[in-house]
Amino acid sequence: MTEGSSSLRIRVLATLVAFMFASLVTRLWFLQVLAAEKYRAEVGNNVVRTLETPAKRGQILDDQGNVLVDNRISLVITVNRDEAGDREEQVIYNLARLLKVTPKEMAKRVEDVRYYRYQPVPVAVDVNWKTVAWIKEHPGDFPGVDYLEQPVRTYPYGTLAAHVLGYLGQVTKQQLKDPAFAGYEPGDIVGQTGVERQYEQWLHGTKGIVKYRVNRFGDNKGEIGELPPRPGDNLVLTLDAGIQQVAEEDLKQGIDAAHSVIDSATAKYLAATGGAVVVMDPTTGAIKALASYPSYDPNVFVNGSSDARTHLVQAARNPLLDRAIQGLYPPGSTYKPFIALSALKRGFANTSTYYPCPGSWAVPEDPLHEHFDNWTPASLGSFTLGGALVQSCDTIFYPLGFEYWKDWYNTQHDPSPALPLQHDLKAMGFGRPTNVDVPFEKQGLVPDPIWKAKAHHDMPHVYPQGDTYPADFINMSIGQGETLVTPLQITEAYSTIANGGAECWPHVADRIESPTGALVQRIRPRCNHHVPFSPSTIAYVRNALAGVPTQGTASSAFVGFPFSEVSVAGKTGTAQVFGQQDYSWFAAMTQGSGKRYVIVCLVEQGGHGSTTAAPIVRRIIEQLYGLTPSIIQTEPATD
Amino acid sequence: MDLVAGKLYPLERRPLRHIDLVLVGTTVALAVVGIMMVYSATHQSLVAQHLDPTVYLKRQAVFLGLGIGLAVLASSFDYRFLKVYAGILYIASLALLILVRTPLGTTVKGSQRWFQLLGFQFAPSEVTKLALIVMLAAFISELRSSERTLEDVYRATAIAAVPGALVFLQPDLGTSIVLAAILLGILVVAGTRVRHLGVLAVTATVLVFGAFQMGVIKEYQIARVTAFLDPQNDPSGANYNRLQSEIAIGSGGLTGRGYLKGPQTNLDFVPEQHTDFIFTVVGEEFGFVGSMVVLLLFGVLIWRAFRIALLSKDPFGTYLAAGIGAMFAIQMFVNVGMTLGIMPITGIPLPFVSYGGSSLLTNGLAVGILMNVHMRRFT
Repeated sequence: MTEGSSSLRIRVLATLVAFMFASLVTRLWFLQVLAAEKYRAEVGNNVVRTLETPAKRGQILDDQGNVLVDNRISLVITVNRDEAGDREEQVIYNLARLLKVTPKEMAKRVEDVRYYRYQPVPVAVDVNWKTVAWIKEHPGDFPGVDYLEQPVRTYPYGTLAAHVLGYLGQVTKQQLKDPAFAGYEPGDIVGQTGVERQYEQWLHGTKGIVKYRVNRFGDNKGEIGELPPRPGDNLVLTLDAGIQQVAEEDLKQGIDAAHSVIDSATAKYLAATGGAVVVMDPTTGAIKALASYPSYDPNVFVNGSSDARTHLVQAARNPLLDRAIQGLYPPGSTYKPFIALSALKRGFANTSTYYPCPGSWAVPEDPLHEHFDNWTPASLGSFTLGGALVQSCDTIFYPLGFEYWKDWYNTQHDPSPALPLQHDLKAMGFGRPTNVDVPFEKQGLVPDPIWKAKAHHDMPHVYPQGDTYPADFINMSIGQGETLVTPLQITEAYSTIANGGAECWPHVADRIESPTGALVQRIRPRCNHHVPFSPSTIAYVRNALAGVPTQGTASSAFVGFPFSEVSVAGKTGTAQVFGQQDYSWFAAMTQGSGKRYVIVCLVEQGGHGSTTAAPIVRRIIEQLYGLTPSIIQTEPATD
Repeated sequence: MDLVAGKLYPLERRPLRHIDLVLVGTTVALAVVGIMMVYSATHQSLVAQHLDPTVYLKRQAVFLGLGIGLAVLASSFDYRFLKVYAGILYIASLALLILVRTPLGTTVKGSQRWFQLLGFQFAPSEVTKLALIVMLAAFISELRSSERTLEDVYRATAIAAVPGALVFLQPDLGTSIVLAAILLGILVVAGTRVRHLGVLAVTATVLVFGAFQMGVIKEYQIARVTAFLDPQNDPSGANYNRLQSEIAIGSGGLTGRGYLKGPQTNLDFVPEQHTDFIFTVVGEEFGFVGSMVVLLLFGVLIWRAFRIALLSKDPFGTYLAAGIGAMFAIQMFVNVGMTLGIMPITGIPLPFVSYGGSSLLTNGLAVGILMNVHMRRFT
């Protein structure tokens, strides 16, 4: 081997090595100079964990400052299935024994499909500290089991106003798609019904963030920053806990009393399956009470089992239904004042004529001579339109309905057939939502020929007839037929009458306050809409209704009532529902000692308006004005 | 030849006057850097375990002392004696590789490659590298013809293949690669024809492919290679190491986070950081500049090895030095390349820097041999 060639070969080897260095240097240049920023950021992702701290949800208060919904801390046991691993069955068994539920029930809770395996699944809420301590002291028996302190709702007044307040639940997938829920994450707890839902954006607050460093194993290596949570704002309602309590108690009392009344039509005790009461200030639209019976315990949605919730959802009388805004009922005779308003406006009736009130009325020119009966077979004589309201004479309203039908019939082939009655009823707020600030309101129905034809076309089994007959209009004139209203719509319409034609937006929220009590936003009453009826027409109807409790259909329910102290105008209603006992209505407008209210009560299968609803309303009025409350006793049946 | 160190030479030819101080300085510098990095990589987790944070630092320092002792020992006698004992060394190293497969050896992380000795772990494959270098250098330097026939190449390959296969079966892919690189380095310097190297490459490729097909290569090894080739598909989790390693180095930037201030290092994000991934500490805490300094030190080290190969007065010394140079180069390249994500993950320590006694002692011996060749280039 020569010196020279050996030297050359070593240089070859050295060149190979030089290439190695070159590739390392190039790569280092790329990583540390060109891409350094990116890797710095990745270190951040690596070592910084952010933990969200829940914000305290705002309180809900009544107009007196009483706290209706508050927060408390609940201890929740969670199971992380990934951490439990193959010992999951053992964990389920041990937890079942500790929490005194069956292993089957515990397995069901653990295998909750709403959670991923790596997510802790809440399996028991509101456990006590002793249980938590036991689990912590026996980690070997409970791998993957942990607990968390969860702020939950608490209801100092129990079930009071449960429907209005609403309950919380996990944010749904659809909600997450909604721009209003921007920034929410799966698993967040949000208001799902009631004002909890309506005023979610204020009540919710803003989650806080704690940033801390972790090592490779996720161990906390110290906090590096904290953004404290911002608690939600408080919601102050127009609702008055005292009035709400009165409304709920009196409604229940009235319904209980109805159960011992024998219904003349069916010869059975009144079923009185449910009811609703609305108390509203007609001058502002502020709702003071919104009661629905049967009600439910909102705690079921705090710490109840899923079975309890399912049970509630499937319960026969549907206690979750807020009958005041979601219950759809034929208004019966409580509709008559609005028919009267329209008839006076349209010239189908006037205030000076006396109309006969026979026991029944047949459609003229009808070859079948179809009869429409009054609520009593006896002829009551002749009344003005006002008197017809006081006596709730159906046979005076039937001909009015017929007039409207003729009006439509003669113009039905016109480009826009005449439907003045429907138009006027819609102007009073029927057939459209009141937009009350409680979600899931129903809008009811003001039927017309177009609707009827379409309903028949879409659902021929439900609506076997698509053509419009005089009976459709005649039934509508006494609040029957396909007409449907909610108790709140009736309340709003009577408030408009009480208010001289100014329609107020019904609402339950008065203002939003910061946690320190500063005003954030006032919910302004809106009463600037005037219904298209002359003030004199409205005054006529309102004055006529003053006769109902004193000498009309509700007089028996108001015997001995001090009308000198509190003036009461109102209207009874007895709505017929096919296959059921009559539905009992009473709507009242009161004024006294500077306070004005509209109180509406509906009792499903409560019989005549004067039987069940009117006594309930009377008792509520007495309590509203500080009078001695009467004992609810069932009254003789008059409409 | 005479074993007596005190043999009289003209003054300027005395071995002691020809110590390669650059080599010594570079090696010590690398070892000191290593001790610093090992401390940085370990002190936090030691504190967390309520242990003395300097435990690893102290042990590494002790090994450095022993390594220096071995280097001195290895340079104290004429390296040409190694030629005489090359066969015995080689056979002994093979015996150790076989013994480690018996119950005498211990298994760490699925790989049986250690002897447990007086509380220390000792990996015979470290010694194998040196034994192979000595054996190959002795074998090729004894060949009569200056022309390397294909038969010579095959013989040399066979010499390397026996320990290579034993190491590969442990399994220790990394050391197998190092042994192959040593063979290649020595063959190149020995004047093997390019054509023969080509034949060797083809044979090796066929064998490796065969090994895959026969299932000799372990699943985790395949997983590491596929994870390297396709980072998105990583069933073994091998990519986690690679990713964290790249993050640590990349985030160091130009000048680094500062000594003991690297978050990736302090928060334990890089697995095996004080051993195989020690370079990530350099990258994170000293940045591009620091990495360059360390690479420069390696450059100097390898340059000195090749320079010694060039200066050696006999082919045996040339091959020894070239083999050692190739060994340092391939270990440095595979190890640093692995931390940078351009080489698959194999358990090769970074010479002088990674924590570990066997490696430090072997490398000390290697430097001793280099010094030896350098010192005696005039005798």
